[in-house]
Amino acid sequence: MPEVTMPRLSDTMQEGTIARWLKKPGDRVERGDVLAEIETDKATMELQAYESGVLEKILVQEGESAPIGQVIALIGSGAGVADQGGASAAHPAPQTTTASSVTGGGAAGSGGSGLGTPQEASPRPRATAPVEVPRPAAPVGQENGDRVIKASPLARRLAEEHNIDLRQIRGSGPGGRIVRDDIEAFLESRRAAAVTAPAEAGVGAAPAPPVAAPAATAEVGAAPAEELVPLSRMQATIARRLTESKQTIPHFYVSTEIDMTEALALRRQLNESVGEGGVKVSINDLIIKACALALEKFPEVNSSYRDGQFVRHQAINVGIAVDIPHGLVVPVIRDANLKGVRTIAREARALIEKAHAGKLTPADLSGGTFSISNMGMLDVSEFIAVINPPEAAIMAVASVRRTFVPIDDQPVLRDMMHVTVSADHRILYGATVARFLQEVKRLLQNPFSLLG
Amino acid sequence: MAEMTYRQALHDTLREELQRDENVFLIGEEIGRFEGSYKITAGLLQEFGPKRVVDTPICENGFVGLAIGAAMLGLRPIVEIMTINFIALAMDEIVNHAAKIYYMFGGQCPVPLVIRTPGGGGQQLSATHSQNLEVWFAHVPGLKVVAPSTPADARGLLRTAVRDDNPVLFLENLALYNTRGEVPEGDYTIPIGKAQVMKEGHDLTIISYSRMAVVALDVARRLEQERQLSIEVVDVRSLRPLDHETVVNSVKKTNRAIIFEEDWRSYGVGAELAATLQEEAFDYLDAPIQRVAGAEVPLPYSKPLEQAALPSARQLVEAVDRLAIRKRRVVYA
Repeated sequence: MPEVTMPRLSDTMQEGTIARWLKKPGDRVERGDVLAEIETDKATMELQAYESGVLEKILVQEGESAPIGQVIALIGSGAGVADQGGASAAHPAPQTTTASSVTGGGAAGSGGSGLGTPQEASPRPRATAPVEVPRPAAPVGQENGDRVIKASPLARRLAEEHNIDLRQIRGSGPGGRIVRDDIEAFLESRRAAAVTAPAEAGVGAAPAPPVAAPAATAEVGAAPAEELVPLSRMQATIARRLTESKQTIPHFYVSTEIDMTEALALRRQLNESVGEGGVKVSINDLIIKACALALEKFPEVNSSYRDGQFVRHQAINVGIAVDIPHGLVVPVIRDANLKGVRTIAREARALIEKAHAGKLTPADLSGGTFSISNMGMLDVSEFIAVINPPEAAIMAVASVRRTFVPIDDQPVLRDMMHVTVSADHRILYGATVARFLQEVKRLLQNPFSLLG
Repeated sequence: MAEMTYRQALHDTLREELQRDENVFLIGEEIGRFEGSYKITAGLLQEFGPKRVVDTPICENGFVGLAIGAAMLGLRPIVEIMTINFIALAMDEIVNHAAKIYYMFGGQCPVPLVIRTPGGGGQQLSATHSQNLEVWFAHVPGLKVVAPSTPADARGLLRTAVRDDNPVLFLENLALYNTRGEVPEGDYTIPIGKAQVMKEGHDLTIISYSRMAVVALDVARRLEQERQLSIEVVDVRSLRPLDHETVVNSVKKTNRAIIFEEDWRSYGVGAELAATLQEEAFDYLDAPIQRVAGAEVPLPYSKPLEQAALPSARQLVEAVDRLAIRKRRVVYA
């Protein structure tokens, strides 16, 4: 009988969560039909059927996670659909862990099984367990029983759609009103709580145990002096990768100040000439282009360190760090050196919109060879970024500031911007990075060279 | 497209309509020899003669009544009331007669009448010369009420109003006469009852009309720069009929609404808009609807007091703050 396994959907994915099953047991499935939506650490993706048949059994329920390769459903002739409960013995017991699932666990009676413990041979309780765990009445009721819950109509509607009890949520709006953001944050944490701690020992595994099911669902409203906020999958991935970066890559830093007066003037001209509906070019787009051209000249910077070797990348793919609610993603502009600034502007804008919509695909996020983190709009004088592995360098861009600069011994007002490159000292050395930075500076200070 | 002032757009449209249809005539105080208090009718007496451009004594009730009678008999009068403040004198003619004749006589005679009149404060003309009385007319079935904010809309809506077989109140704003904008050429019309999304956005919607729509657009653009807020601005343009669909769809998209109007707050156009949103978009609201309107006082003469009583860009920004929109994301210039 064909098994549907958890697919590998991105480079960094280790396990996936079933966001939604689009077919139910007994449904006829054609090859290519979308079976489920799977949430990875970066995006929600569709899972297509590779075989036609009847979806006989779902082994991993909505909200639950499974590592890559684990069987999550079975497609067959249809004979096995009838006996939902008992049939599981016929299949090799899947490795699904149950302890921290929102819907399973304590109330259904199977709680307490250790993380990674193989499923007991008995029928899976989850198949028949009610969707919502009966919540321990005492703490919630006493805490919130008399309270009038303020929630926006939109928040109420979303809560109803997602089957959320508003008493679980603390509102961040005026007067404690629950608004859309609060519902979304709650959904995010609920998903995170459903995540089984990965079998690997690692940074990501640490926060999981205390977040077992009842804590996440029932006690959010009754927070004591401190509050445990579980990391979302994305946050866990970021934590793991950035710790890895700082622990394994010897970072060093080179800074300079770039006079952006001319670049700002050029941008103004470009944007004045853009027609109705045209894409405006941002400072960041010019910086992307400048870095891409400088990387052309200094291929060492456009490299990776891998197993004691220097990997030089042919393509120049510039990642742009984008801050999204509760996380950070770095979508990539491919072949940025070969693209005009307007093309870069259009692509960057599209990627940022996708990032906010949570619709970035693994393709959008992979293949970067150099990154830029721009906090210019957040009024920072300077900052340092952590390298996004396996890249060799990242450039941190601070705000443009009007400053008096001595020119011919006279103070002249110029628009100055502080940048810092963090580089991997295993393959890069100070002078190389300094020269690379000089080139970036030269390009931005003579911005017409970006239009070639 | 030609750039011109709101004043010029109105003048050109009146002239073209006089040329196009010999049944069209203008009537009002000082519109002929004096060429209009705000010079909208400059040169028209000379061009079209005293039968088409009629000067009247100070008698609003009389000449509005005359215009209604003329309209019933097939002419298409365009009345200028020097300022909306004087319209109270013609209220009986407008509300009891113009609005109802078509209904009361079983559809036998339409009343193709346009009443143009400017309103608005900010000119230090004191309490009886600085009013926004649009809601008086927007309340009455049988009347159409438009209040354009741009030269293009002034032109497109005035053409439609002149050609409409129903009485239309065409409300101008003193402070808009010298504003400039692109105006499409040719026989360009705008349907009455269709709002315009002046600027698209996704964080909140500002709903406005007439001069306040111009201020709203300005504030929206500024906050986009300063705070990375993406604000949608809807100019309803027609107060009756009101375009529910555009307004409701915008708020369904942004989930938050501010209504920004120059008239008094109580029982005003903003109240009607707020009620509409509450009825038709309740489940999409993420915050209470905010209203920013004029202070509920007769407008003072003193300049600082007058400015304090009129709704301002600052109050609009405060309303945005009350919506408590959390700053959106993007580490990116």
